[in-house]
Amino acid sequence: MTGKELQRKRLQKFIQERDVLHAMVEAFTKSPTAEEKLYRMLTEVYVDHHNEIIRCVEEDKPFIASYFACAPEIYTAMNLPWYTFLTPAFTGAILEPVLEAEIDASEKLFGKDFCTILRIAGYYIEQDLAPIPTAIIALLHPCDGTTVLHQIIQTNEEWRNVPMFAADPPYWEDERSIDYYAGELKRMVSFLEEHTGHRLDMDRLQETIKESNKQYELWMEYNELRRAVPCPHGYGVGMQAFGVAESFIVGAPKGTEWFKVLLADAEKLVREGKGKVANERVRLLWFDVVSLGWSFDLFPWLEEEWGAVIVMDMFGYTPYTLIDTSTAGSMFKGLAKRALFDVPMVRQARGVADNFLSDIRRIVKDYKIDCVIWPGHMGHKDGAAAVGMMRETCREIGVPFLHIGLDLFDKRYTTLDEIKDRFSKFFTAMGLG
Amino acid sequence: MEMKIRSKALERFTEATATLVNPEIHRWKKQGGKVIGYFCSYGPKEIITAAGLLPFRMRATGSTGTELADAYLNSINCSFCRHCFNLGLRGEYDFIDGAVWLNTCDHVRRTYDNWKRYVKTPFVHILSLPKKTGQPQVEWYRDEITIFKESLEKHFAVKITDERLWKAIRLHNQTRRLQRKLYDLRKREKPPITGAETMAVMVAGTAMPTAQYNELLEQLLHEIGDLKSGIHYRARLMIVGAILDDPAYVDVIEGQGGLVVTDMLCFGTKMMWKDVDEGASDPITALAQYYIAERPSCPRMFGDYPRRAGFVRDVIREFKVDGIIGERMLFCDNWTVEHFMMGKEFKAAGIPYLTLDREYLLAGVGQLRTRVQAFLETMGR
Repeated sequence: MTGKELQRKRLQKFIQERDVLHAMVEAFTKSPTAEEKLYRMLTEVYVDHHNEIIRCVEEDKPFIASYFACAPEIYTAMNLPWYTFLTPAFTGAILEPVLEAEIDASEKLFGKDFCTILRIAGYYIEQDLAPIPTAIIALLHPCDGTTVLHQIIQTNEEWRNVPMFAADPPYWEDERSIDYYAGELKRMVSFLEEHTGHRLDMDRLQETIKESNKQYELWMEYNELRRAVPCPHGYGVGMQAFGVAESFIVGAPKGTEWFKVLLADAEKLVREGKGKVANERVRLLWFDVVSLGWSFDLFPWLEEEWGAVIVMDMFGYTPYTLIDTSTAGSMFKGLAKRALFDVPMVRQARGVADNFLSDIRRIVKDYKIDCVIWPGHMGHKDGAAAVGMMRETCREIGVPFLHIGLDLFDKRYTTLDEIKDRFSKFFTAMGLG
Repeated sequence: MEMKIRSKALERFTEATATLVNPEIHRWKKQGGKVIGYFCSYGPKEIITAAGLLPFRMRATGSTGTELADAYLNSINCSFCRHCFNLGLRGEYDFIDGAVWLNTCDHVRRTYDNWKRYVKTPFVHILSLPKKTGQPQVEWYRDEITIFKESLEKHFAVKITDERLWKAIRLHNQTRRLQRKLYDLRKREKPPITGAETMAVMVAGTAMPTAQYNELLEQLLHEIGDLKSGIHYRARLMIVGAILDDPAYVDVIEGQGGLVVTDMLCFGTKMMWKDVDEGASDPITALAQYYIAERPSCPRMFGDYPRRAGFVRDVIREFKVDGIIGERMLFCDNWTVEHFMMGKEFKAAGIPYLTLDREYLLAGVGQLRTRVQAFLETMGR
């Protein structure tokens, strides 16, 4: 096969993924709810973005692979299309048997205890199921798994010649650390300019960050509304907001429009005293990713059976400071701080455990949380080792804590029935619902 | 572990390895000495020595369970960390006056967080270890070491001068040179010392005053340097992995006829393969350069796999290794992928590679024996 033919072969899963997303757009279009209209808007973005990558492959144009936590504002400003290795585990939830088969296959390569989402990414690389980008910006935090995933890529025969850069994350968030990471981001820009031919124009970066700041302001305003009782929206919207503000349309006017629609809908619901659930009885903090798979059954069940609404989740939380766009230096420092200390999961899991605990305290207070759920995804080794501290923190602030122990992507690890049982016993024992 | 060599020095080393608080530590404490535990081979022990304190590499030797630790850590956390933390909660680490961690891996860094809260160790510090090995990272780690030095000085009211630091560097470099001499003896066709015995020597080096250790090691080298060994073996093996501090594990492997002649382990070559540059202009920069860019790295160091693999290739050649046993603590992501990559590479190069998952405490000995036995047989040995 020629190089071009190989790339097209590698695109097949990506095209399937695009088609799955397209089907979701159609499903959301048929839905009358305002919430699902928002889902449709974002899913359309994902379809467009997939099409853009497909076009780049077919037309031999530069594109990269990267992540939300690597200052994607820079990619928007450089007009550089990018995709992430992590999507298959999410979209795979639509076709569970296929996802399960891929999970099983990935276990043969990497064993059982490596995080499922990273294992699937590694599997895609090893099996030639992902389009080879012009360059890769690797992620070295928040966990061990992210670092070693990129080492798999670097040793894979087909991928080893793809230029790769990773910004080294310091363990702290003080001025010294922010300066250090800002230096790493500048090196990242030099790397991207060298390998993609796209240049970073500082005016364009300023424009992008200003737009991104608007998105964060709107998001924060929206999150104020989620403090209302009843909560205007349920699970999923937080992830959607994260997807807009920190993923493929970060700093793009389309994203700002999305937030305005979101805010308008939430304001209306709060004014009318309407919540996602007619009889809201339990307000949850789901302290992890709201994965697509569990969104089809577990989270709706919680709402219907228990009146339990995920008022806040890890990815919906917005402890962001706006970036000062007055100089190049202030922008890089702002991006460094955001990448180290603001973006979800990286924020909590990257550094010391206090980051988990302070967020729990704050969210419980601000959002009138009735109970904290640590799903306990099997890949979160650092979180697993923080369970005792989280439990004690919740005890101190007088809120029940439930640690489940599941796989956010493989429902066979802990089944739906087992999880429902855990929740039911928990709510009953705690006098909730 | 049954010693095959008669050596007073080896007896002392074996004793130091077999217990957590060995007689050497007792003696040190009795004389008013203070002990600083460190949780990873990237910990700059030279700083501790320069402060007049005894660096002690933390282990969980003697632990029998994790019932206390399991209230805080989880079953998907590394059993080494759980056992260490359990010992801390039981008060078995009351002999240390301080402890220093690095953000080595997800399990280790959270052990720090838990230890800080729940174990009453008077001085606790954590260094931010970079995940790359370039010059900006050396500079970063230089600053981290400086911060650690200043923290130690303040708490223990000592002054760590450059002169004291250079002296400590020279002392630890001497240890490294002596340990390399020991390993040189294992390159022979008939090594005078087994892998299990070597492990006892290496672990002991992290658990006693360094000057005293060096003297004993010199004595051991003198005793076995000319020894004609009667160790019969079927194959020459290399163990690759992380935290392996139990000679009994190596004993089980060697009981099947494989002789462990070398390794890439945290209590092995990673600690001593290179020296800190004694000719550098500044001791702290020399330390940072050594730890980040010179010594065989840990799999958590991004982009450094080629150097690690190159090191393994060189060692295979020098020690005439027939096969590699890769050991991994369950739930360790770093070594999941490292063994995946190394297994692929070395099997393709015709070097047999066996990966063994384990828990910290030696268990499933029968199964371990069977797997090693089968491995040796597939090697045609």
